[in-house]
Amino acid sequence: MASVSIDNVAKFYGNHQVIHGIDIDIADGEFVTLVGPSGCGKSTLLRMIAGLEEISDGDIRIGDRLVNDVPPKERDIAMVFQNYALYPHMTVAQNMGFALKLKGESRSAIDARVREAAAILALEPYLDRLPKQLSGGQRQRVAMGRAIVRSPQVFLFDEPLSNLDAKLRVQMRAEIKDLHQRLGTTTVYVTHDQIEAMTMADRIVVMKGGVVEQVGRPLELYDRPNNLFVATFIGSPAMNLLKGKTGNGGFVTEDGALLPLPATAKAGAVTYGIRPEHLMLDETGFRAEVVVIEPTGAETQVLAKCGRQTLVAVLRERVDLKPGDRIGLKPDLAAIHLFGEDGRRL
Amino acid sequence: MSDLALSSRKPAASLNGYRIVQSISVFVIALVVISPLFMLFIASLKDDRFQILADMGSFRAFWVDNPTFNNFREVGNFAGELAFGRYLGNSLFILGSTVSLGLVINSMAGFILAWGSLPGRALILSVIIALYVIPQESIIMPLLIIVSRAGLSDTFTAQILPFVASPLYTFLFYQFFAQLPKELYEAASIDGASIFRTWWSIFMPLSLPALATVSILMGIETWNQYLWPILITQTDYARPISVAIATFFGQDSIYWDRAMAASVMMMIPILVFYLAFQRWFISSFVGSAVKG
Repeated sequence: MASVSIDNVAKFYGNHQVIHGIDIDIADGEFVTLVGPSGCGKSTLLRMIAGLEEISDGDIRIGDRLVNDVPPKERDIAMVFQNYALYPHMTVAQNMGFALKLKGESRSAIDARVREAAAILALEPYLDRLPKQLSGGQRQRVAMGRAIVRSPQVFLFDEPLSNLDAKLRVQMRAEIKDLHQRLGTTTVYVTHDQIEAMTMADRIVVMKGGVVEQVGRPLELYDRPNNLFVATFIGSPAMNLLKGKTGNGGFVTEDGALLPLPATAKAGAVTYGIRPEHLMLDETGFRAEVVVIEPTGAETQVLAKCGRQTLVAVLRERVDLKPGDRIGLKPDLAAIHLFGEDGRRL
Repeated sequence: MSDLALSSRKPAASLNGYRIVQSISVFVIALVVISPLFMLFIASLKDDRFQILADMGSFRAFWVDNPTFNNFREVGNFAGELAFGRYLGNSLFILGSTVSLGLVINSMAGFILAWGSLPGRALILSVIIALYVIPQESIIMPLLIIVSRAGLSDTFTAQILPFVASPLYTFLFYQFFAQLPKELYEAASIDGASIFRTWWSIFMPLSLPALATVSILMGIETWNQYLWPILITQTDYARPISVAIATFFGQDSIYWDRAMAASVMMMIPILVFYLAFQRWFISSFVGSAVKG
């Protein structure tokens, strides 16, 4: 295991810069998720750590070793690809043992290591099968097994669950997290799914346009997003954002609705953020008109209009509402997020 | 309901019509392709070379009253410079060597063009495509001079070496390799495989369709070589069967019966070669490498 240090790393394709001087320090044994929309540079950054992309500027260190010019095979890393990248003509055991074979390890040593990894991932019954004889989840496990047998210093995952169906994704998410807890290997995990990022990571790096928007623990990002992008990207349903300005002892929306503010609120806010679960039904709250009701059993999502602005409330209780009803919504004052003209948190 | 039934029958009827036209077309094309081969086989079973000539141009060309294998026996006992079997052996040796070396060289070149970090790769590819359109006959005289000056006249090497590297087969391999998922190459490089090992252990086993295609095309091309062996061989030592058959076409008379039998015998190895490789033409299990 080793730490990973990314120091002012940049990437150019010709004159086009896709990564703009990124600094991230990943501690030994930490599980860090790179998350962001398509084209934000998260996979490029991961591939630079793997050595599959050249670094245009800056330094990457694995442990104490500068690896900028070190080829992938000498970085002591293992990577799990989105489409598994299993060798189709090799059995599961051969796929998992290929790297060890290349290292010149003995057949018995390879066999022992493969069986050990297969036991961890419940792959023992499939060792003699070809990848085409496995289900998507099993193939993904083989890809992880191929990484495990090498006992690398760092695991790199490039959107490994994107090709799986929703149910299997939840199951594999738990398996990867469990694996990390058991092995304790430093892990860098790329995903565009913020739920994956939130549930698995020790720390999340939110990226946009080749720039790091915020780094922090999942709940830190959720509770105190640095800017509007992080506020909307983290959390599902997304945070409600209402345009307006502070005044009259509260926040006046563009439609004239007055929203309450805590006494400590700073002046100058133009965006009022409140997460859906921090809105409560209360007749003393601001008025809104119900548009859609979505009961899920455990909770009820209410899509409502406040003037021209739409917002979502997630209510823990079951409510007897129908579209067109006028309701009062009261925000939890302790959970309000205010953003200034530049989109940054106040 | 009846309208619905009627409208649903209409496309089925036109589909049947389409299938009939399709079947007839396939039958006619097959007939055109197979009939000369069938005629050749029938003629090889006729004992009288003048009868063969007389039958040509009529349906008699496709019928034999008293089939005999005499012609094959006579070809087997061929009393030329060397035994007929030796020419067959020469051809098989040239075929085997050219195809096996050709598979290695062209696939290596195609692999590097597809995945290697080669400076000027686009330019090299353009040159390779440009070279493909140059007919072999147009460079045969300069090639003859080069091979002669290299002291390779009248050797097997002269019939193998010039045809091992081919722009067409390099390009075929390049196209095949370039279609394989990039992640396979990257996974191999992370696993610690050298570029040679990646080519040999990962990409070559996945390339059976390309290997079969190139083997068949290259094999047929090599087997049917005639002009080059005539030019480069002065003695019978390294001559292939295609040149030996020409012996039956003498200055004074043509031994159609033996020529037909020899042609059938010449066809058999390449037919076996084709049948051995053709099943990989369409089969590929690359699909299981990646999902989606």
